[in-house]
Order: sequence, then structure tokens, then C-alpha cells
Amino acid sequence: MDKKLAVYICTGCGIGEALDVEALAKVATGEYKVPVCRTHPFLCGAEGVAMIKQDMEAEGVNALVIAACSMRVNYDVFNFEGAVVERVNLREQGIWSHPANDEDTQMLAEDSLRMGIVKARHMALPEPFQVEDLSRTVLVVGGGLAGLTAALDAARAGYKTVLVEKSEVLGGWVSRLYRQVGVNPPYSELEETDIARRVKEVEENPLITVYKGAQIEKISGAPGMFEATINHGGTQVTERVGAIVLATGAVAYDATKLAHLGFGQYANVITGEMLEEMAAKGSITRPSDGGPVNSVAFILCAGSRDKEHLPYCSTICCTESLKQALYIKEKNPEAKVYIFYKDMRAAGNYEFLYQRVQKEGVLFFRGEVVSIEEDEGKNLFVEFDDVLVGEKIRTEAVDLVVLATGMVPTTAIGERMTIKAETDEKGAQAEAPAEEIIRSNILNLEYRQGPEVPTLKYGFADSHFICFPYETRRTGIYAAGSVRAPMDIPTTIVDATGAALKAIQCIELTAKGSAVHPRVWDLSYPEFFMQRCTQCKRCTVECPFGAINEDEKANPLPNPTRCRRCGTCMGACPERIISFKNYSVPMIGDMVKAIEVPEEEEEKPRIVVFACENDAYPALDMAGLNRLTLSPWIRVIPVRCLGSLNLIWIADALSKGIDGILLLGCKHGEDYQCHFIKGSELASYRLSKISETLNRLALESDRVRMEQVSIMDYDRIPKIIEDFASRLEEIGPNPYKGF
Amino acid sequence: MISVNPHFAEKLKKFGAKTSYDCFGCGTCTAVCPLTSDENQFPRRFIRYIQLGMEDKIKHSLEPWLCYYCGDCQKNCPRQANPGELMMALRRYLTSVYDWTGLSRRLYTSMAWKIVSVALLFFGTLAVVYGFSGEMVTDRVELETFAPAHIVHPVGYVFGAVLAFLLLSNVYRMYRFVLGPYAGAIPLPVYLQELGTLIVHFATQARMRLCTDKSRWLKHFLLMSGYFVAFMLVNIDIVTRWSLTNEPPMWWHPGKLLWSYASIAMLYATTDAIIGRLRKKDPIHQYSHSTDWMFLILLWCTVFTGLLMRIFMELGLPLPTYHTFALHLAFTVPLLGLEVPFTKWSHLAYRPFALYFLRLKERALELQRPEGTAVGVQGAQG
Ligand code: HEM
Ligand code: SF4
Ligand code: SF4
Ligand code: SF4
Repeated sequence: MDKKLAVYICTGCGIGEALDVEALAKVATGEYKVPVCRTHPFLCGAEGVAMIKQDMEAEGVNALVIAACSMRVNYDVFNFEGAVVERVNLREQGIWSHPANDEDTQMLAEDSLRMGIVKARHMALPEPFQVEDLSRTVLVVGGGLAGLTAALDAARAGYKTVLVEKSEVLGGWVSRLYRQVGVNPPYSELEETDIARRVKEVEENPLITVYKGAQIEKISGAPGMFEATINHGGTQVTERVGAIVLATGAVAYDATKLAHLGFGQYANVITGEMLEEMAAKGSITRPSDGGPVNSVAFILCAGSRDKEHLPYCSTICCTESLKQALYIKEKNPEAKVYIFYKDMRAAGNYEFLYQRVQKEGVLFFRGEVVSIEEDEGKNLFVEFDDVLVGEKIRTEAVDLVVLATGMVPTTAIGERMTIKAETDEKGAQAEAPAEEIIRSNILNLEYRQGPEVPTLKYGFADSHFICFPYETRRTGIYAAGSVRAPMDIPTTIVDATGAALKAIQCIELTAKGSAVHPRVWDLSYPEFFMQRCTQCKRCTVECPFGAINEDEKANPLPNPTRCRRCGTCMGACPERIISFKNYSVPMIGDMVKAIEVPEEEEEKPRIVVFACENDAYPALDMAGLNRLTLSPWIRVIPVRCLGSLNLIWIADALSKGIDGILLLGCKHGEDYQCHFIKGSELASYRLSKISETLNRLALESDRVRMEQVSIMDYDRIPKIIEDFASRLEEIGPNPYKGF
Repeated sequence: MISVNPHFAEKLKKFGAKTSYDCFGCGTCTAVCPLTSDENQFPRRFIRYIQLGMEDKIKHSLEPWLCYYCGDCQKNCPRQANPGELMMALRRYLTSVYDWTGLSRRLYTSMAWKIVSVALLFFGTLAVVYGFSGEMVTDRVELETFAPAHIVHPVGYVFGAVLAFLLLSNVYRMYRFVLGPYAGAIPLPVYLQELGTLIVHFATQARMRLCTDKSRWLKHFLLMSGYFVAFMLVNIDIVTRWSLTNEPPMWWHPGKLLWSYASIAMLYATTDAIIGRLRKKDPIHQYSHSTDWMFLILLWCTVFTGLLMRIFMELGLPLPTYHTFALHLAFTVPLLGLEVPFTKWSHLAYRPFALYFLRLKERALELQRPEGTAVGVQGAQG
């Protein structure tokens, strides 16, 4: 593509008053000989935009440097078909966070423009990746409430759907419930579930193909072109699908591990699941002798919120037990029912159920169960440490003890395996920390990084509960229901809809050649200059999304539709052969080089800030929006993710005389907030190995600092920068200045 | 090991504890209660005792008497479990536990017993009055001729002595229950030193002033002081002879003035309480047990007939005076006879004694502790 650059400087929003715009324009026209450079008092207005369009037509300009506001605003306005656009942030991170008509502010603005121009010189227009023979079919794995709902929702939206269910019947866990907790006013009555209706609708829907008694043998490919091999009663069928909803649910925690609560030891200690089964059959009796049940003790959190067993809360056991208490009370109002709990978690409308159960005369105990004993008649006694009374208390003889066991996601069951990169001979960059995959035999993916989706905590298939629900770390595979997080019936239904919509969105974005969450506008994708690949496997291992497979010769095989465009592979590659049309190692390297570094005597240090576009860059914008003053020494370069940070940039910066480098990225480690899961973690890992490089250059490792910020931390940003600047002052100027 | 007794809460319902199972133990009530303390925590703990059926704990506790039904808990309970009323029910229950005759329990739990007992005493008194009364002089008011003082006064003292015996024997049982294990450890001088607590709280109900609503105390003090004045006046009448006499003194006679204060104060406060209970606005008046009504109605009728009789007397209307006098006695006897030893009015003894016993218990604990750090209860030192 023949490029003709144009620079547009907006003088609106106070930019014109605070900066010497003429001098700024001279940077473009003088230093860089940019053929077209214009200023406009209101660039984002119709007139300003028309001016740019006019230049595109008349002058043939096609690489536009817009020096105005942050790239996070007006991106729809400054969007020109067929042109590369680079935004230079003169407003939020320029005049809003630095004093007006100040020498240093002017230098900052000029450097920003330089960086924008050199980047635009390198950038090319992305050519969207096109899938051949794209499939718009949604594959739903699991035929329980979540799976049925997702299948129905996808079909209702007009998408062909394939539903695979392991057992011979549809309906899953919910179909085995006698009654469900009331989801309609007054929320305190037992209700029949509507699962039979859902099963019927699925079976009658012409867009849905159902495989019962079926198992997925393997899934190869990528979004838009997955090939799923399904073993269906011994015969193999292959379905080409565009996206996948994982809805295999959870199973109850294995009660045989709860011997301390008498399970397996005393006949009349059962689980909630067993009580449900008895209730569904129509009679609740003592397993020991089939006698009537006149008193029941429910033990909540049986094995849950317990480090030895399940460390988490399964959300539904409290309300399910309240419901089961009503099974007993509705049949026999005189029955004595005791509920032992740690915390009663009956939020929202479940409060009405809780209140009703209290009114029915069920007795509640908060604290720890001390022991469960049995007498000769197989009656049980629960001994309990009551928090409110502060004493040990014992029940009268009870006929039945019911353990409310928690949920174990199906993705948590199976052998654990780790996939590592082979030890590398080059030693140039860090090896990624090994990742664990649980072989749960559900999806059997043919992915270099393992056969199942990586799980978040406790084996739940998710990548971030709050920020990006449904997204697993395998693009195009969306988890719904209790395989993702413990959840109740109403939440599962909503969840299934969410995941189905995510799957559809993925198919449609893939059809356009666009990335999915979080870079849904992005049409670029990584390209590999394979001639120089050393088969080090860095990219195949470090990609947080398992996008890159490898061939027999260990050459990386990228799958662009699995890719989220984070650039982590680009940061990882020691040969620097991975690049995007509009984002590459040399591009950013040139930006670093474009910064003017004043002589030591001028006492104007320079700090390069690599700011993650997801949280850190917006936080810097917000600092400006709140008119917080930032250090004049910083030069901010946005990066897609700190994971894309290539160490060469640091070397470039330091050898140029830049005094310090600050990396601002998302929180990593447990409870990470990194939008690409591993990016900031990998950056910090790579950084930990950099001191060697710095020593080689005879530089202090303190010159490079990484800080974790979230968008809410904008008020901390000035201090973070100030602290770093004063540390740099202590160290003294970079000795490479002027070389 | 304590065993759960789910039947207890059922039993307590008759005493007015209908909402104990609504409590989910959040503790808001205890947090907002102006009278609870670290050493004596209520009401949540006691609601828990009710739920678990810990009868023994309750029987040996003073806390129900430390609650003055300010009602802050009731206003703030997120579950409308009416903690204040549950504490009230515990006081009713305790009153029945302290009473050795068993009559208290019957009065609290049976409507029939209430009606029959009141009716028996009411009509019995009328029968006695009309059976033993003297001549009804009609040309002028001669009360003493109608009700000879030499009969009324001795009968009154005997009646009072019986009631005092019943009440004090119940107080003694209360003492055994709440101080049982400590009783031996307290030397006699301590009993005497702490008598001040008993007297102050009997005379002033000072602890009620710690409630958020200060007007409660004033109203109650009108009631209490009115009653106290009237009680004293009646008792010294045998000497002063201002009341039961054929020659009533002039209007400015101190006895008469004081009597007027007593009647009006009590009438005002009782009427106010009745209106309150009908309106059900304040927590203390939201829920009325039948015995609450019984107390207020008997008290109101007694005070009212007493006042009316005085008025008839002043107006020189002989027959109305005699008949209202008979009615006045007919209300007084069930009021005193049933309320003082057996039901609600017994609190005039249990409440000050509870604070007295609490001090004794604290002293006993101090004595047991070698380096005794003082423990105190709000308002208990007077
Ligand atoms: C000697 C100390 C006394 C104390 C500390 C005391 C305290 C209390 C308290 C706290 C209440 C409110 C709640 C409850 O019933 O438990 C109350 C109610 C009442 N007290 Fe007393 N009292 C005392 C003596 C008396 C006396 C001598 C009378 C006689 C007139 C009396 C008459 C009443 C009445 C009528 C009520 C009920 C008000 C109602 O039902 O709304 N009290 N007392
Ligand atoms: S590391 Fe990021 S950019 Fe590279 S292939 Fe994976 S998802 Fe795509
Ligand atoms: S009575 Fe009400 S405020 Fe007190 S603990 Fe129970 S629920 Fe909470
Ligand atoms: S009624 Fe008043 S004194 Fe009694 S527990 Fe409630 S807040 Fe405390």
C-alpha cells in the first residue's frame, strides 16, 4: 500500500490556547516532511471530518495522524474507510494533565506527535482473516437446564444447533428434583420445575439436532470452523460448528469423604441428592428400617467452605435445604426439623422462603457440628457448638441427617496435566510458568495446550467471574451454568442465554474477520515470518488462549480465529517474527526512538510509560479528565497488553538515554484483572529476567518498574509516576545520554 | 450437655412469645438496646434460649428483669421478631416460675382461670361488704357507719400480710434461682451494703431513664408515686382517720390533697396506657397479653371508683358513696390479690430485687477474684 501521510491538529478543547500549535505543526512538516498538515478548531465536527475526507479524495492521503483527544473517544468519528488512523493524545494526557503554555508541555506534545507519525509510517491496513466455508452452527455440550436453554435460545435466534448429551435422557440435574424453590411470587411455595417443557421444545425444534448417549471424541479447528467428532452409540458423526457452549454442569461432592459427618457409617445419614430422590418417589423414610421420618437434621455446607474439602460456597445448598425442610413440614407439620448452618445464604427473593421455613417452626443453628452419634435404634444425635449461646448443644434423637453437599464442576474431574515448552537453548527470554489442564474428557480439544479448557478457580470453567463471564480461555467456547460457577436455577437460565448469545456473537464477528472480546473492533491478526522461526515454542506455550498449534516439526500453526489479538506471542518471540499490520515490534521500537532525549545538563529526564490499553491507558485519561497533574517527563506508549511487551523495547529505550521505563498493566496472579489473562503476569515474569540485560549495559535494574493499576486507580497515577521519577533522580541520569 | 427442647417455645406461646422462631439471630436488637451490657447480654441471647428450649438457663437468669421494654429492639428488628415482647413474655414466664402456688401459671395460661378468679374475688368482696356492713344512713354521708373501721382495717392488714408473704416467698425463690451458687459466698454485710440499690430502684425506677424515650419514665413515675402515696395513706388511716370516717376533714387536709394527687396521677397514667394499648403504636403497647389488660382494667376501675366515691362523699350523696365504696373494694381485692403476688404487678418487687441481686452477684464475683476489677451494670448502682 502506497502511503501518503497527513497530520491533523485539533485546536479545540483548549489545545490551541495551551500549546504552540505552529511549532507543533513544524515537527510534522519540518522534521518529518509530512506532505499534508492542517489544524482545525473543531476537528471532530462535521466540518473537520469533511476536511479530512476531502484530503483523502483530493490529495490521496491514506495514513492519518489525528492529534487531538484520546483514542478512547471519538473513535467512531475518526474512522475512515481505507485509511490507517493513528491518534495522538494532546488533550487528556496532554493539556489536561500538564500546565498550559509550558516548555515541558510543548516538548511532550511534540514527542507525542513524533511517535504518532513514525507509527503511522509503519502501519498498514489490516486485511480481515476470512474463514473458508464458515459454519454458523452452535454446538451445545450438555443437555441439562443450561444446555437445553442455550440450545433453545440459539435456535430461536435462527442458528442451527447441535446438542450432545452424555446420558440417554435430557434434563440433567433439575429433572431429578421433586420440586424447585419458588421462582414466582410469593417465592415461598414449592413449585414444579419446567424442565419437561424445555426437553419437549428442544426435541421438537427443527433447528436442533440432539445426540443422546453421546460423547465428544475430539474437536479440532477453530471458531467458525470447529470439527467435532461425536461418538453416538458407537457410531461416529462429525459436525462442523462455529462456536461451542459448554454446559456440562456439576455433580454433588462425594459424600463418602465426609465420614466425620457419619456418611457411610450410619445408615440414616444421607445426602440432599438422596432425599430428593426419595421425595420424587413419593415417600421419605428411614433408610435403616423404612420407618417414618418425624425428625430431620440438615447439615449445610457439608464439606463446603472447608479447606479439606470444597473451599468454596456452592450457593444453592442453603436454599435447597430450606426447600427440602418444607418437603418434611408439608407432609408432617409436627415433624421436628433442625437446620445447622455456617451462614444462611438466602439472598434476594429466597428471603421469603427462609422466612416461611422459620414460620413453619424449623429450628436453625449457627456454628460447627461437633459430632454425629447413633444409638442402638439407629437414631441419630447431632452435637453442635452454637455460636449464639456459646455452648455445646445436642439434639433429641432424629430419624434422618441430611448432608447438603456442594457442587463439583464436571470440568474439575479428571487427571491433572501440565504442558510446558521444552527447555530452550537460547535462554534469551523467560519460559512461561507451566499451565495446568484437567483431563475431564468433555471436549477433547486438539489443541497444543491440552484437551480441555483451562479452568479458573477450583476447576470451574471460566476466565474471570466478574469482568468477562462465559468467556473461557478458549475462544469460541463459552461456559454456562454450574460448570462455570455454582448457581441456582434462575441464574442458570440467564447464564445459558448469555453464553448462547456469546457463541452467536463469536460466529458473526469471526465471519467479519474481527476479534472477539475484548478487542471486538480489531481486524488485525498476528502474522509469522516463518523463515526465521527457530521452533522455540515460546508462542505456542505462552498464548493465553491456546491459539497456536504446532506441526510435527514444531513449527507454530496459528489459528487466527482463535486469536484474541493481545500480542502476547509477539512479546514472547525471541526472534521477533510475529507482527500485526498495525502493531509490531519495530513500530513500537521506532516510537521509542522518536522521543527526543535532552542533554544531561538540561535536567529533563525522560520516562517511557508502556500503558496497557485496557485499564492503565484509560486510567491515565481519567487522571487528565480530573485535571490531575502528571510528571512532565513521561512519554506514554499504549500497548495492547503488557504481554506484548518485547524486551528489545526496553533495551532500545535505555541505550537511547531514556532514564526510566514504567510498565503500567493490570493486576496479575490470583484474582488477576488482565484482560488477556496471562499478559501482565508474563510481562512481570519476563521482567524478572531483565536485570541480566541491564547489567550487561551497566545499568541499574531500578530503571525499569512495573506497577499494577486498575481503571479505578487514576487518582494514584500521579503518585506512582512521581515516586518512580524521584527514584530515578536518586539513581541519576542514564549514562547513555548523548551516545 | 444441653439438649434441644423444641417444645419449650410452644409452651411459651401462651405467655405471649409468638414470634421466637422468626428471629434469625442477627443481633441487631442487642446492638441497639440501650440497657444491655457485656456481662448481661439480651435480647438475642434470650431469644436463642427460647428457640433451643433452654429452660434452666432462663430460670437462673436476671436479664429479663434488666430489660425495661424500651422497645428500640422491636423497632429495629429486620425480621419483626418482636424481641421486646419476647423479653416481656420471659418476664411473664419467670413470674410463673417464681410462684410456688402454681396460681400464677394458671392465670397466665388460662382464660377460664383469669375470669373465674377475678369474678370470685369481685363478687366475694361484694358479698362480704354487703353482708357485714352497717346501717346505710341516708340523710348524710356516714361511711364509717356503713363500713365499720374496726372491721375494714384489720381485714385489710391481714389481707396485706398474706399478700406480702406470698410475694416475698416468691422473691425468695427468685433469689435461690438466680443467686443459688453464689448465695453462700456472700457475707452478710454485703447484703446490707447493697440494700441501697433495692431502695433506690424501688423508689425511682431510675433504670427506665436509660431508655431512649424519657417520657416513659415520667408517666410510670406518676403511676408508681401515686400508688405509693395512696398505699401509705390507706395504711395510716387508722391513725389519721381522714378517710374511713363519718367526720371527713376540710378539703385542705394533707391526706385529702395527697389522695387527690394520687388518684389523678394514677388515673392519667393508666388511661394513657390503655389508650396506648388500643392504639398499638409504641413497641411497649403493640402486643397485649390478656394479663396486661387484666392489670390495667382492674387498676383503672379501682382508681376510678376510689375517686368517684370521694366525689360523691364531697357532694354529700350518701347512697352513691356507699355503693361506689363497695365497688371500689370489689376491684381492689382482685387487683391486689391477683396482680401483686401472681401476675404483672409483682414486678414492683422483682424489678428492684433483680438489680439488688445483680449487685450481690457482682460483689460475689469480685470477692472470688483475687485482684478484683470492678464490674458494673448500668444503672444498677443507682
Ligand atoms: C418498684 C419499682 C417498679 C419498677 C422498676 C417498674 C418498672 C416497670 C416497667 C419497666 C414497666 C414496663 C414493662 C413491663 O411491664 O415489664 C412497667 C410497667 C408498668 N408498671 Fe411498673 N415498675 C415498678 C413499680 C410499679 C408500681 C408500684 C406500679 C404501681 C402502680 C407500677 C405499675 C406499672 C404498670 C401499670 C405498668 C404497665 C404499663 C402498661 O401496661 O402499659 N409499677 N413497670
Ligand atoms: S498470544 Fe495473543 S495475539 Fe498471539 S496468537 Fe495468542 S491470542 Fe493471538
Ligand atoms: S430478634 Fe430480630 S433483631 Fe434480634 S437477633 Fe432476632 S432477628 Fe435479629
Ligand atoms: S425492650 Fe428495650 S431494654 Fe428490652 S431488650 Fe429491647 S431495647 Fe433492650
